[in-house]
Amino acid sequence: MIRLAASETLIPAPNIEYYELSPILIVFGVGVLAVLVEAFLPRAHRLHAQLALCLTGLVAAFVVVCTLTDEAQENARAVPQKVAAEGAVAIDGMTLFLQGTILLLGVVAVLLLAERRLGGEFAASAATVPGSAAEKETTRLGWVQTEIYPLLMFSIGGMLIFPAANDLLLMFVALEVLSLPLYLLCGLARRRRLLSQEAALKYFLLGAFSSAFFLYGIALLYGYAGSVRLSDINAAVSGSEDNDALLLIGMALLAVGLLFKVGAVPFHAWTPDVYQGAPTPVTAFMAAATKVAAFGALLRVFYVGLGGAKWDWHPMFWGVAMVTMLFGSLVALVQTDVKRMLAYSSIAHAGFILVGLVATNAEGLSATMFYLLAYGFSTIAAFAIISLVRDGSGEATHLSQWAGLGRRSPVVAGMFALLLLAFAGIPLTSGFTAKFAVFSASASAGGTPLIVVGVLSSTVAAFFYIRVIVLMFFSAPVTDGPRVAVPSLTTALAVWIGVAVTVFLGVLPQPVLDLADNASFLIS
Amino acid sequence: MGNTSNGEAVLFWILAPITVLAALAVVGSKKAVHSALWMAMVMVNLAMFFAVQSAPFLAVAQVVVYTGAVMILFLFVLMLIGVDSSDSLVETIRGQRIAAMLAGIGFGVLMIAGIGNASVDDFNGLTAANSAQGGNVEGLAALIFTRYVFAFEAIGALLITAALGAMVLAHREEIGEKLNQKALSIQRFKDGGIVTPLPAPGVYARHNAVDMPALLPDGTASELSVSPVLRARGDVLEPDDSVAAEASQRAQLGKGSSS
Amino acid sequence: MDGNVYIPIAVLAALGFGFAAFSVVTGALTGPKRYNRAKLDAYECGIEPTPQPVGGGRVSVKYYTIAMLFIIFDIEIIFLYPWAVTFDSFGISILVEMALFIVTVFVPLIYVWRRGGLDWDH
Repeated sequence: MIRLAASETLIPAPNIEYYELSPILIVFGVGVLAVLVEAFLPRAHRLHAQLALCLTGLVAAFVVVCTLTDEAQENARAVPQKVAAEGAVAIDGMTLFLQGTILLLGVVAVLLLAERRLGGEFAASAATVPGSAAEKETTRLGWVQTEIYPLLMFSIGGMLIFPAANDLLLMFVALEVLSLPLYLLCGLARRRRLLSQEAALKYFLLGAFSSAFFLYGIALLYGYAGSVRLSDINAAVSGSEDNDALLLIGMALLAVGLLFKVGAVPFHAWTPDVYQGAPTPVTAFMAAATKVAAFGALLRVFYVGLGGAKWDWHPMFWGVAMVTMLFGSLVALVQTDVKRMLAYSSIAHAGFILVGLVATNAEGLSATMFYLLAYGFSTIAAFAIISLVRDGSGEATHLSQWAGLGRRSPVVAGMFALLLLAFAGIPLTSGFTAKFAVFSASASAGGTPLIVVGVLSSTVAAFFYIRVIVLMFFSAPVTDGPRVAVPSLTTALAVWIGVAVTVFLGVLPQPVLDLADNASFLIS
Repeated sequence: MGNTSNGEAVLFWILAPITVLAALAVVGSKKAVHSALWMAMVMVNLAMFFAVQSAPFLAVAQVVVYTGAVMILFLFVLMLIGVDSSDSLVETIRGQRIAAMLAGIGFGVLMIAGIGNASVDDFNGLTAANSAQGGNVEGLAALIFTRYVFAFEAIGALLITAALGAMVLAHREEIGEKLNQKALSIQRFKDGGIVTPLPAPGVYARHNAVDMPALLPDGTASELSVSPVLRARGDVLEPDDSVAAEASQRAQLGKGSSS
Repeated sequence: MDGNVYIPIAVLAALGFGFAAFSVVTGALTGPKRYNRAKLDAYECGIEPTPQPVGGGRVSVKYYTIAMLFIIFDIEIIFLYPWAVTFDSFGISILVEMALFIVTVFVPLIYVWRRGGLDWDH
């Protein structure tokens, strides 16, 4: 076969809206620069250069997100809406809100990662065999594995794309970009390294498995709609009357991949092990930011792409939300490790957030986004505090060791108690506002059974949160129990930010609720 | 082009059973190397499927990336853990294998039932897609570099992460200054011991191999001239063996050879 | 529909198999057969192959970095293929896109090189 001469008309260059995409581009650019810092700067200067670079980049990206929101609100429309990069990226209210949230959580995560005074949470050199002489030597020399910063930046970059992706192909790439660095970061703990490496391996294997489901779902939906673009899928769904098997199976497989990232039952199995094994700053970041990004993607896929098939996926999500809330709360009851308890609590919270999602209205969207913001800051601060409670061998995560902590260090224990109250949804904390928003959105959409289950599991959850508070404040301190270490400024700052946001969103939630309301808009 | 051609059908019915059996063998093999080799077979067969289904780019990518690169990585990893290592058959979770099998079969049945029901009798849009830009690869390029260019560039981040991860997990950096040749040489003299190259193995009329030790001036064999590995294996000849061998040959040749 | 296109492939395959079979069979039939221990050994210069230790001998983990770099550039090449094929149908944009991608992919190479991942002698 002879190819004809190239056609005279050139294929036009793609339109890239650099300004709208700049938050993502900045974060990736900083990631690449951070790799170059790793390559060219001597060891002694790397840490400070990385910190400066990452924080500057994240703040710059956040400023752009703010200006984008601001500009759009000055125009006639209350929300920005633009499809960028040849329609692959949707820059709308939800994207900007969640991107802003992820960037702020990213700043807090960088602050946590920078902890040095407690000896650091990361292995001095991850390639050394645990327990070997080389490990001791690198630790003695005070090496730092500064590659965590570029890895974190790439992960954040992926998270920025994930909720914004307007086609499933980009969404899959974003899923991998955000997951791959996380798998790695999970395995880099300084202490109990084998546990950490096991966690990384488990996370990686299960994550790869769920990615495969996600990808298969994309393939089937492409077979159904002839396109991976969400708007085209929506058109195909709305255009046909009958239930196509390809659509149903594809939808289910897509949901598996996304619910895994969210940590919803029955795809939650990785959560406790990984949260426990990973270095605590990474756990904090994962618990907070991954949820934001994954819920963003879940919202976009099911609201924008599969909104027409609502009655097919709605019952499934109802079930998942109920089981997730109940299971997370009940299993958290019997945990003896603080990190595992918070892991199960994070599963339960995924259920609460799903309640907002199944409301399938603007109210539900705004409530979900608000919940993600509130929960993100509370959880990142809670894990940060866990990293402060230490004994001779590192973090003391066993609950029995926490007995009487409130008498020894009332401020830190008080902050932890406040965060637990926020998780339980007690008034005057962000958790209450968030749960209220989610439940009222659900009520307006006829989700009364969901609310009943939600309130029930909230009560169960409140029981174990308060049990920890009682343990901290009203039981006798254990002899030679853990102490609250004095952290470096960065960790302290991270804790204070998290606590401040938790209180602020509990006491004066209205401005942020308004912001979420204004942002509850998706480009279809 | 509305339906499967005969050639494609023949190829499919030959290759499909082979592929399925090979895929089962991937899971069933006890030795990891065997699994990897079966996997290579599955991948090559998939490439052939892609090729006959008018997706040449996918076929090339399958061969270059999967059969080429990913298989290499698999085999490298197997070499890292030892080629002969095999699965232990002890189940850590009781009934796990059976449960996994049942779940797999269940999923397969569900998929076959579901997708088998879908109306996919006719090819839809294949010809259009492959001829829009003059060919399959050209058509893909027109999509990758315009519509999906953002995803394409984002893959760069993925690749950087991969390299970073490999280095972080596998590259042990030198602790302290790396010694240069001069320092190493000084070190060697300071330590004493042998500073010259080791003596070469023996060179005789009948043997010039590394398994024959050199002779020292007093006629004894030099231990240093042959590799300790060979000695440990018992593969080292002694000079006496050579003399004996020559004597026996001389005997075979009969008298008169030596005067 | 059009099975004729496979005929050349089938003929080529038959020729390939035929030649291989012919070579092996003819060699076996006509060649002299005088075996000794050395001839039956696995071919390797000099000494007998060293037996592998139990577990099959593990290679250095350094190979992993190299294998990973290989994969990365392999994936880059896969994208270069459609790029090269359609280079003429695009304007300057495609050049910029690919340049950006290649630069991105070179960053980890620089990192690996600077950190001594390519050094083999320590």
